[in-house]
Amino acid sequence: MAAPLKALTSDNVDPHRRIATASQPDALAVSVCDLVKTYRDGTEANRGISLSVRPGEICAILGPNGAGKTTFLRQLTTELRPTSGSINVMGVDVIADASRAKKLMGITPQEAGLFDRLTVREHFEYFARFKGLSKNTAHSASTEIMLKLGLIAEGKKLVRSLSGGQRRRILIGLALLGRPPLLILDEPTTGLDPATRRRVWQVIRNAVADGATTILSTHYMEEAQRLSDRIGIISEGELIAYGTLNELLARVDRSYRLSYQDRSGEDCVRFCESFAAAQRCVERELLSEYSIARASLEDVYFRLTGSPYRDETAEAHEPR
Amino acid sequence: MNRVNDIAGVFRIQLASMRREIGPFLLAAIVFPSAMYLFANAVSGAEAPQNRLRFLAGSIVFSLSLTSISWLGYLLLENRFTGRLKLFATLPIAPSSYVFGVLIFALAQAALGTTTLMLVGRVFGAQVRPNFSLLIVVVFLTILSLCGLGVIIAARARSFSEGSLWTDTLGAGLVLLAPIYYAPEMMPRGLRVFAQLLPTSFAARALQTTLTGGHAIGVELFGLSVTAVITLALGFHLMKWREE
Repeated sequence: MAAPLKALTSDNVDPHRRIATASQPDALAVSVCDLVKTYRDGTEANRGISLSVRPGEICAILGPNGAGKTTFLRQLTTELRPTSGSINVMGVDVIADASRAKKLMGITPQEAGLFDRLTVREHFEYFARFKGLSKNTAHSASTEIMLKLGLIAEGKKLVRSLSGGQRRRILIGLALLGRPPLLILDEPTTGLDPATRRRVWQVIRNAVADGATTILSTHYMEEAQRLSDRIGIISEGELIAYGTLNELLARVDRSYRLSYQDRSGEDCVRFCESFAAAQRCVERELLSEYSIARASLEDVYFRLTGSPYRDETAEAHEPR
Repeated sequence: MNRVNDIAGVFRIQLASMRREIGPFLLAAIVFPSAMYLFANAVSGAEAPQNRLRFLAGSIVFSLSLTSISWLGYLLLENRFTGRLKLFATLPIAPSSYVFGVLIFALAQAALGTTTLMLVGRVFGAQVRPNFSLLIVVVFLTILSLCGLGVIIAARARSFSEGSLWTDTLGAGLVLLAPIYYAPEMMPRGLRVFAQLLPTSFAARALQTTLTGGHAIGVELFGLSVTAVITLALGFHLMKWREE
C-alpha cells in the first residue's frame, strides 16, 4: 500500500481528501503517486502528480490545452511509459503489468481513427469480440450502446459518411463495450453539440451507476462541475488542486466575483466576501459596467495560478 | 484461445474493409502482374515459349511483392497515421496479435493472387505442373519476408507520405532489381551479387522450380527463411505499442 500512502502525503492533495481516503485505504480504484513524465527533449509534461480515486467516482481532470492532461491519461492507459512514479489500478501495477491493467479499462483516446470502410455496427461488434464477448452478446451489447448514444439509425452506415460528433460517440461507445470497471475518457465531449454532450454525460452517469469508476479529462469547466465527484486541476504539468467542487470552491475565500471595466476600459476582476461587499465596491468606485456572480471553478483556477483560465468556453479575465 | 480470437478479429476487420474497396487489391495482386506476364511474353518474341515459366514465376513474385509491401504496407501506414493503431492499442490485445492478423490477411490475399495468376499463365501458354506442397511453403515464406519489410516501413516512417513512397518504391523496385524478367547475366556485375540475395530473387527461383514440379530449392528456402526471421523480428521490435 506504499503508493496510496505516498499519494496522501503529497502537498497538492486537499487535506479534507486525505482524511477521507486515509480512513479507507483499501478502497481505492486508482492510485497515482509522484508521476513524472519528462520527454527526451527535456519537456516536463507531468511534474509529480499524485491523486487517488475511489470506486464509483467520476474524477475530472481539468486544465487548459497543453496543461498535461492527455499526457497524464496516456500514462494511466499504459500508452506512455512514465519517467518515474507509480500507478495502481484496482490492485494492478499499471507500469509493471500493462496488459492486465488494460483489461480493466475502457479507453477513449483524444485522437483515434476509425475504419472508414466499416459500418458503425461492425465497429461495435468487432471490438466487442476483442473484449471477450461472444458473437451473440457482442450483437446485443452493440445494439444497447448504439441506442444509448443515439447511433442506432446510423448502424448500417459506413463510418466515412459520419460527422465528427458521430465518430466521437463511436469512440466513447467502444470504451463502454464489455462494461469495464474503469473508464478513461480523454476529452470525451470535445466537438459535440450541447444536446449530444448532455446525452454523453448521461451515458457516463449510467455507466457509473452500473459500477464503473471514471476518469475523464476536459477543458470545459461546466463539464467538470456538473459531471464529476472530484476535480483535479492541472496547470503546466502540475496538479495544483484536487477535491470535490465544494472543497475547491472553499479555496476562494471571498466567494463573490465582481467583474467590471475600469476607467481605461480594461476588464477587471475583484473577489468580495459577500454580495453586499461587492455592491459597496461598485458604489465606492462609481462603476457603471459590472456584474456580480458567485465564485466558480474558473475563479479557483485564477486564484491558484494568477492567470485567467483560457479555452473556447472561458470568458476573458484580466487580473486587476 | 484469446490470442486466436484477437488474431481472427484483426483479420476480420481487414477483410471487411477490403471487401468494400477491392479495386486496389485486384490491381496489385492480379491486373498488374498479369499484364507484366503478357508484356514479358510479347517482348521476348520467339524466345517466349521457353521463358514462359520464368515470366509466370516472376509475375507471381510481382503480385506477392505488390500485395505485401505496397498494398499491405499502405494499410499499416494508414492504420498508424490515421490513429487506428491507437484504437487497437486501447484494447487488451498483444501487438503480435495485430501483426499476425495482418499477416494472415496477407496470406489469404497471396493465395488468391497466386491461384489466379497460375490460371492466367495456363490460359496463355505456360506449362504448369506445380509441386503444391512446396509451392505453399515458398509463397508462405515469401509473404513473411516481404510483409516484414512492410511492417518495418510502417513502423519507421516519419510521415504517411514518406512511408507510402517507400512501400511503392520497394514493392515494385525489389521485383525490378531481381533478375526475374531478364537473365542475371544482363545485370552489371556489382549489382548481380546484390540482386541474387534479394528475397524476390530467392522467391522467383524457388517458384520457377516448384511450378515445374521440382524440389531442389534448399538454398532459396534458407534465404527466404533468414530474410523472414530478420525482417519480422525487426518489424516487431520497431512497432511500438507503448511510447517511451
